Amino acid sequence: MTALLQVQGVVRRFGGVTAVNQLDLTFSDGELLSVIGPNGAGKTTLFNLITGHDAPDAGRIVFNGRDIAGMPPERIAALGLARTFQHGRVFANLSVRDNVLVGAHTRLDVVRRSPPIIGPAVELVLALVRPPGVARQQEALAAEARDILGLFGERLLPRLDDPAFSLSYANRRRLEIARALALHPRLLLLDEPTAGMNETETAEMLGIIRTLKQRGLSIMLIEHKLDLVMALSDRVVVMDDGAKIAEGPPDLVRNDPAVVEAYLGHSGVGEGSVGPASPSSSPSSLGQRDLPVKRPGPSLSRDAGAPYGRAL
Amino acid sequence: MALSRRLLLLSAASVLPARAFAAEQILAGVSGPLTGPNAQYGAQWKRGFDLALDEINGAGGVGGRPVAYTFEDSQSDPRQSVAIAQKFVSDPRIIIELGDFSSPASMAASPIYQRGKLVQFGFTNSHPDFTKGGDYMWSNSTNQAEEQPKLAEYAIHALGLQRPAVLHLNTDWGRTSKDAFAKAAAALGAPVVATEAYLPTDQDFRPSLVRVRDAKPDSLVLLSYYADAALLVRQARDLGLKQVLVGSTSIYSPKFIELAGSAGNGVFCMTSFFPGETRPEVRKFVADFRAKYGSDPDTFCAGSYDTMVLFAALVRQFGPTREAMHDGLAKIQDVPSVIYGKVRFNAETRRVQAANYKYLVIADNAFTVWDGTKPARLGL
Amino acid sequence: MGSWFDYTVNGLIIGNIYALLAVGLALIFGVSHLINFAQGSIYTVGAYIGWTCVTYLHTPLPVTMLIVLVGCALLGMAIERIGLRPLAGAARIAPLLATIGISFVLDQVVQLVFTPDPRALPNPLPDWRLHVGSGTIGALDLLIAAIGIVSAAVLFGFLRFTKLGWAVRATALDRDAAQQMGVDTDAVNRTVFAIAAALGGLSGMLVGMYFNHIDPAMSFQATLKGVVAQVIGGMGNVPGAIFGSLLLGLTESYGVALFGSSYRNLFAFVLLLVILVLRPNGLFAPSRQAPPEPLTGTFIAPSKPVVVPPFVVLIALVAAAVLPLVPNIAYVLQTLTGAWLYAILALSLTLVAGTVGQISLGHAGLLAIGAYASALLALDLNMPVGFAVLSAGVITALLGTALIFPAFRLRGHYVSIATLGIGEIVGLVILNWESLTRGPIGVSGIPPLQLGGLALDSPVGSYWACLAVLVALALLQKRLLGSHLGRTFRAIRDDDVAARAYGISLNRYKGLAFAVGGFAAGISGAITAHLYSYINYETFTSQISILALTMVILGGLGNIAGAIVGAVALVSLPELFRFTAEWRMLLYGVVLLLLIRFRPQGVLGTV
Repeated sequence: MTALLQVQGVVRRFGGVTAVNQLDLTFSDGELLSVIGPNGAGKTTLFNLITGHDAPDAGRIVFNGRDIAGMPPERIAALGLARTFQHGRVFANLSVRDNVLVGAHTRLDVVRRSPPIIGPAVELVLALVRPPGVARQQEALAAEARDILGLFGERLLPRLDDPAFSLSYANRRRLEIARALALHPRLLLLDEPTAGMNETETAEMLGIIRTLKQRGLSIMLIEHKLDLVMALSDRVVVMDDGAKIAEGPPDLVRNDPAVVEAYLGHSGVGEGSVGPASPSSSPSSLGQRDLPVKRPGPSLSRDAGAPYGRAL
Repeated sequence: MALSRRLLLLSAASVLPARAFAAEQILAGVSGPLTGPNAQYGAQWKRGFDLALDEINGAGGVGGRPVAYTFEDSQSDPRQSVAIAQKFVSDPRIIIELGDFSSPASMAASPIYQRGKLVQFGFTNSHPDFTKGGDYMWSNSTNQAEEQPKLAEYAIHALGLQRPAVLHLNTDWGRTSKDAFAKAAAALGAPVVATEAYLPTDQDFRPSLVRVRDAKPDSLVLLSYYADAALLVRQARDLGLKQVLVGSTSIYSPKFIELAGSAGNGVFCMTSFFPGETRPEVRKFVADFRAKYGSDPDTFCAGSYDTMVLFAALVRQFGPTREAMHDGLAKIQDVPSVIYGKVRFNAETRRVQAANYKYLVIADNAFTVWDGTKPARLGL
Repeated sequence: MGSWFDYTVNGLIIGNIYALLAVGLALIFGVSHLINFAQGSIYTVGAYIGWTCVTYLHTPLPVTMLIVLVGCALLGMAIERIGLRPLAGAARIAPLLATIGISFVLDQVVQLVFTPDPRALPNPLPDWRLHVGSGTIGALDLLIAAIGIVSAAVLFGFLRFTKLGWAVRATALDRDAAQQMGVDTDAVNRTVFAIAAALGGLSGMLVGMYFNHIDPAMSFQATLKGVVAQVIGGMGNVPGAIFGSLLLGLTESYGVALFGSSYRNLFAFVLLLVILVLRPNGLFAPSRQAPPEPLTGTFIAPSKPVVVPPFVVLIALVAAAVLPLVPNIAYVLQTLTGAWLYAILALSLTLVAGTVGQISLGHAGLLAIGAYASALLALDLNMPVGFAVLSAGVITALLGTALIFPAFRLRGHYVSIATLGIGEIVGLVILNWESLTRGPIGVSGIPPLQLGGLALDSPVGSYWACLAVLVALALLQKRLLGSHLGRTFRAIRDDDVAARAYGISLNRYKGLAFAVGGFAAGISGAITAHLYSYINYETFTSQISILALTMVILGGLGNIAGAIVGAVALVSLPELFRFTAEWRMLLYGVVLLLLIRFRPQGVLGTV
């Protein structure tokens, strides 16, 4: 297998905190790799760095033979890298169908023209005139969107025209995955896809991810629910304090003393509430086997990034 | 109290034209600012109009019919002044339009008045192109091409100034005035050494004054309205500038004295209207104004008063129709005016000629007629 | 050189005054994330309370200051309670609009009570002056500086060392979390508004004394300068606001020194833009930020738009088309022609602000570009009017987009402030670029509207022409929203971070939206120029930008029919209230506030 993604010596600091510290990671084509670790370990920051939402202070990120470190996210997406977000970022006022179609944005013929001014101008004219070719692709994509949503059974299909803000939390997570699939990604990054889901829903999601894997999709997964991680992963990477502390097949990693230490060792806060914004604190029947949450307050802001523009 | 009197006035103004005389009144339409940033000028207009109407209607109106006006608030906004123009044009009772205040508002409405054959009498519109909008655009606003050379003569010949610097409002009015003044001053052998254009919204003039000072002028000529002139004068004195200060007719207002405070003393200015004048029409106007409003009139009040008197005279001589207004303006002669003495229009330019200028100086917080004493020269 | 020292002193003196304005704005923004457009009006009210005390009660200065502080604090609390708290659940755009409405009402009340005449507010301090350089500094300058510094220090102490202060800071950081921890956020809001209003009122009084001049129209400029100053320092940052004010004062002063007074505001707004582009979060924010959170829910609340049945639209359209056949309604036609032109502007803005979520406060600048382009093409190049109007649309699309381009990287409120600055810059460039635009004299004799040989300058002709253009542009926009671009635009609005993750280039699509919007706005401005026959730099003021935004919000963001309804309503209301003379703008403001209160998502809802 060839390396689809290589992360080499990546560092990202926020003020005095080093969120990702000298991280190395290799991801092979067709693999399902899980990244686990306590809250604040730097997992989401790592995702942000890979997908271009944040730029590393040092290091290289090579995707499919190209260094994408610091590249804007829209260009990385066009290279075939799709992600979901930890807190379920659907386009609230768009219908379920339109949310999926936005996922297919990079595949639109009308979008591919890139020379400045002329490219967008042509795109505008084509959007207004809508010649047969453009209309055909739109229809094909709309049909495909239905197919993708069909993956989730009857969860989303009846709500095709409903605005996304009317969906339940679990349905928003499903919609995010559907949107990511519409991009036809080479690599799919899932950030806690089952957060806030109950047992049945989690099991259902496990089945879906397994299906995707069987179809040959390369997936990188952040997840707190160990059952899910153990059942799906080819390989597991454990992060703590921004660094990789263990790596290997699920069973090996599970019994690694360093991993146990990382999860249970430094603090007694355990299952403390993280506040309303964190879905990972939602009740779940897999409770005892979930990864306990470490360092509640500050870790949240490290994972999710500091709130935007708020200083007094 | 000021408040209740104002309320009373307000209701009187809006109700009177509509109801009191109903069908038989002779009506002028006024388009001007009653709200918005220029509302102060609309308020002054009303005082002049109302005073003139007291006189005219007190003497039985014209041909037994009362003269009245309907004031539509445009906020000096062209979007509203054009709607008002259409409203006036469509209203057959209205035989002349007075206003608007600013050039953008007035001139945007001009095509509608021209098309509707209703005289647009812009009594504050000094924009050189205003009356070029068509043969229905007339103005008795003082003409800057005529006024500024007089101001230059006052500053350079009478006061003996050699190095004038000009500060002017950066509006069509200020710019036209500045160009006319600079031309006249150069012709008189004392070219302007520095000019600064400022925005109507400016309040802080210190840096502009320092810039002007560096050109080493012996005098500052203010082509300003009274409110900004007051700010300029105060800040010039705060900055320690000792130059002679000269203002255009537009700074003449009792408000200038109030706003400038003691810094206003020693400022020279010119005015086309001066309450201290001995002409009988001026004395009557000032006395009546004081009796009615408890304060001295300024140039804006005088302008609106004159305009209403002119309107009554037009109706009296040529009849109460729109066509009569248009034809009459070209012919009318010797209408008494507190600004011009006697008014007569140039049928070509559709403007008034030969205003009657007085030279003033402020002493002891009051405008007084200049006695011919030249100011002490700076040791420059 | 001595003069530079004088310029520096003068810059600091006026900066000192801006600081008093900016501190209150910064405090409110820090806690409520709200640009309080009513701050300038509170400043005016403070000045008039001071004037009343000095003139009628003859109070000594400390007592006057106390009365102003208390009076304005009460006013601030009332504004918070009556105007803003009922909107707590609505999208953040609603409180913003509410502050505009409140500002309107306050200004009008002041004007009605105190008359529009400017008044002198004498300075009671001893006439003692300190010679600095070749100029002087008075006791009042020192008092203003002292009050600026003391209020910043007191604020600092209050925020650091009192329980309520902690609550304020906690609320500023995370309102929901603070609420969950038992912080009474209503009390915090009330306190903040009281403090900010007290400061604002006091500054109004002091500035009034400084200039010996107060008038009811002074509020807008005050808000504008205060906002610029606090953005330079970093929105919501109190010490930053003071520093930003001084920097603004110095920049203006040096700008005048170098280029003259008419460039003063140009310098102020260029400084604003440069800072926004280089340091989007203000001078004191760290340059590298964590990746941003979505702004979802910040501006656009989820809502279901009202579906207008097609037959209603058709009936309305037919009614509008045959209206000129009714006799004697030239005035109604003229008013509606104005409404159609504003509706075209609102279409442009509802696309940019509603569909793409870039709340632009600079749309008057686009109108001005279109108007000047068409007027000058027709006059100087003898271009036929129809062609000139069309070209003006294209020029505005290109030029407008290029001008706003630096603001594309900004988010949220910063976009509004930047576009406000860009709008002002356009006006000032028009004023100063005399060789092209004829400067303050303006462009007169613009040929009337015509198409081919067909003159459209009669009331009926221009009515139909404007209606036809409006309908055409509305249909075009409807088709645009139905294409992939519509959902792409709305995706950017709902969550720009997620949109980028799916390959949507923000610059490309914001650029497209501004180009389409610029085209419509340019056409509107161009037609206006030909209808008015005369334009100058004052024809299209920032007030028009604010009015257009009000129309868009009132109609429902992104809603095409809503934009038209909003334009017709806001153009007609002041005309309908004409019988109330001086009271009409007050009535208009009250109606506006009521609409926001009971329909914050707009009459027809957000699309």
